[in-house]
Amino acid sequence: MTPDMLLPEIVLAFNRWVIYYFALLNGVYVVLFLVSLVEVVRFVKGTFFSDYEQILKSDMTWPVSILVPARNESRTIVETVRSLLNVNYGQFEVIVVNDGSKDDTLQRLVGTFDMKRTDKIYRRTLPTGPVRAIYGTLEVPNLTVVDKERGGKADALNTGINVSRYPLYCSVDADSIIEENALLRVVKPFMEHPQEMVAVGGIVRIANGCEVREGRVARIGLPRKPLPIFQVVEYLRAFLSGRIGWSTLRSLLIISGAFGLYRKAEVIAAGGYDRWSETEDLELVLKLHETLNRRGRPYRIVFVPDPVCWTEVPSTFRVLARQRNRWHRGLLQSLWRHKRMILNPRFGVIGTIALPYFVLFETLGPFIEILGYAMLALSWWLGLLNADFFLLFLVFAVFFGVFLSVAAVLLEEISFRRYPGWQHLATLVLFGILENFGYRQVLSLFKVKAFWDFLLRRRAWGRMERQGFRTAPPPAPAARRI
Amino acid sequence: MHDLLIRLIAGTGALLGGLALLIAFNKALREMREALDRRRRALLEPAIYEYANATGHRAILDYLPKPLSRRDRRLAEAALLDAARVVKGESRDRITAAFEALGSVRVSILHLRSQRWWKRAEAAERLGLMRSRAAAEPLVAAMNDPMGEVRIRAARALGIIRGTTSIRPLVLALTDPSRWSAIRVAEILIGTGTEAVDELLAAYDSLPHLARISALDVLGRIRSLKAAGLIRKALKDPHPDIRARAANALGHVGDPGFAADLTEALRDPEWPVRAMAAKALGRVGGQGAIAALCEALKDRQWWVRANAAEALRLVGPAGRDALIRMLDADDTYARHQAVAQLEEGRIIDEYLADLASADPARREAAIGFVEKIIRLERVDHLTQQAIDHAQEGVRLALLKILQRPA
Repeated sequence: MTPDMLLPEIVLAFNRWVIYYFALLNGVYVVLFLVSLVEVVRFVKGTFFSDYEQILKSDMTWPVSILVPARNESRTIVETVRSLLNVNYGQFEVIVVNDGSKDDTLQRLVGTFDMKRTDKIYRRTLPTGPVRAIYGTLEVPNLTVVDKERGGKADALNTGINVSRYPLYCSVDADSIIEENALLRVVKPFMEHPQEMVAVGGIVRIANGCEVREGRVARIGLPRKPLPIFQVVEYLRAFLSGRIGWSTLRSLLIISGAFGLYRKAEVIAAGGYDRWSETEDLELVLKLHETLNRRGRPYRIVFVPDPVCWTEVPSTFRVLARQRNRWHRGLLQSLWRHKRMILNPRFGVIGTIALPYFVLFETLGPFIEILGYAMLALSWWLGLLNADFFLLFLVFAVFFGVFLSVAAVLLEEISFRRYPGWQHLATLVLFGILENFGYRQVLSLFKVKAFWDFLLRRRAWGRMERQGFRTAPPPAPAARRI
Repeated sequence: MHDLLIRLIAGTGALLGGLALLIAFNKALREMREALDRRRRALLEPAIYEYANATGHRAILDYLPKPLSRRDRRLAEAALLDAARVVKGESRDRITAAFEALGSVRVSILHLRSQRWWKRAEAAERLGLMRSRAAAEPLVAAMNDPMGEVRIRAARALGIIRGTTSIRPLVLALTDPSRWSAIRVAEILIGTGTEAVDELLAAYDSLPHLARISALDVLGRIRSLKAAGLIRKALKDPHPDIRARAANALGHVGDPGFAADLTEALRDPEWPVRAMAAKALGRVGGQGAIAALCEALKDRQWWVRANAAEALRLVGPAGRDALIRMLDADDTYARHQAVAQLEEGRIIDEYLADLASADPARREAAIGFVEKIIRLERVDHLTQQAIDHAQEGVRLALLKILQRPA
């Protein structure tokens, strides 16, 4: 066979293969959506009367250490700490770990809360970088600030674990605000299954566009810029349709670093957070799955859709590109590190379904998508393009993409209804349609670039440029209060 | 293939349109219904409050519009449930009578047998708020429901309804396989107070391992001396979990007479028992507690040391003196724990204030104390105080000591 004949054969074989791939991928999405739908309905039905007041009052509720790694978070750190100190929970402590900030993060905390250096003793269970000082305050006895040399987010979290006193710890990003009852909601699975529960993730929502007053999201709104609105739809799909589905299938691989509750002893037994990882949250969950499975210990790692953590997302493509590059490199690192789990029946659904899904669709998906566009041009050049078929396939692909986004909006509407206005709903549906024309393709390009950087072993955290939360608002009468 | 694609597009398009309509229809319907309900409920509520605050024998039905529609009945019940959460005394009894008159109790009892678990759970929760004694037996039966959520709510309802008939099923419910249920039941039993002690003592030996742990927690929290014998016996149990909970329970009961038992528990081979015993000793105090806690400061386990140091701080002036003595201990960990607790108890601050005292003896004692802490290399707090202590005399004196060569 000559090269002239071979090329069209390759192009046609690829096109056929893409159709199967597309069918399989969307089949998985539909299954995840249906599983999530059942679980969301079940969850909403089961929480008609909340037990949160009883959890709050109970002496038997486990105390929680809230860990906040912070590096150059001067703009938002005080609001974040205030929101954490106001959290509705019985016994808890807040530990902020200042990871060698170059700005005045530490000074703002020390000044605002009148903190003093102390000789607090802690157990150095996990190896970490040097701690410069520990600050405490008599005014807020459950607040501790640890000042350490720069070692990365994972190192800061490990330091927080060492300094913490309680058996459960909650990791919260310094640019995030958690809702008043979020801790009560996220601790409930630990109370229900105290022997088995190891980690619980909560839903993360986007704070851009919301108004923050005294460390609380006082008014929920959608962002003004289109890029964060695309991310609102994306987060809804990822959390309400993706993570609920995986959690129900007992194969949750990601608990967002912005908000997750962990059993400290198990995290220490697994070796804590890894400094080398770009996404220490994903790596930790995978490590927990691997170590607990190998030990044969019955365990649960679950996602609860109700607890809410509000976080700021990138509002420019430049920052978004850096963030997604890091996330994708982190995913690739962790998949490579835990390659022995992939297709290994010893690890159950995780080994046989979840991890292969991540390899096949999350890792290879962007390549196939970008390659697909190249093949399209090649098919046209070789005269192999069936224009009718291509257009029909394109319409179907777009329709299906829109269907999945709108389905996520439906899950939101029948369950938590955080975006209550008609205008919110219409905007979400509109952006669910629009994201198929450009936004998703750009994300795929970011991932391809990340793969290349991974191969070249390039490392960069991807600095997030904070706008800070919107404060001092004139309250709008139609807005929903939480 | 073209036909298939066209059909798929049509199908997905229809699904998409349907989904969008469903979202809009669901939202519109819900908002409309909520608005109508709000308006109607605003009309019913004055009559309901008038009934709740009245003293006569007129029943709730006399206050409500006639004939009572299903919607009015539902809204009246919702308003009464809200009132039931806050109202006390005679009005509370009238609200219970209103639920019975409206047939809400009967309907909720029927719902306890619903096929859907959330309906059963909701019924149990409502019956608890209604507080009708007629619901006690059906709720006892609901304690055997296969769903944990239903059992928890039935237990809670029984705890609210009270009466001695409710205690025994609650004690037996400590054996619930769901730990959340067992914890909730334990909370409810604690709420019933001393009424639960006899039942718990009688049932203890027949309870399984985890239920015994919960029972010890309950007995400790109720703080009944009547349970002391059983708790002391549990300190000798072969299971370390039970021994640890027993030590904790003795701490809650808080009688200084337990000091000897807890001192012995500080020699337990399992560290969780020793850690709990140290904590409990801090609560009960008593003869020999200080010496035992000082010894526990040298324990090989971090948590035992930490709990012992905290216990010494909480035990009062004798504990504080012991912590000061521990600054000269052979064990480095013990010395560091002592410094941390002296700092947390603001005892270091008291000595610092004496650095500017007019009394030379007090000043000398303070200097000696500060020098001792500097020798232990725990100077973060001292350095901070040298910068921002309120008294200039203290700042200068402290700075002078800190700048002296080691």
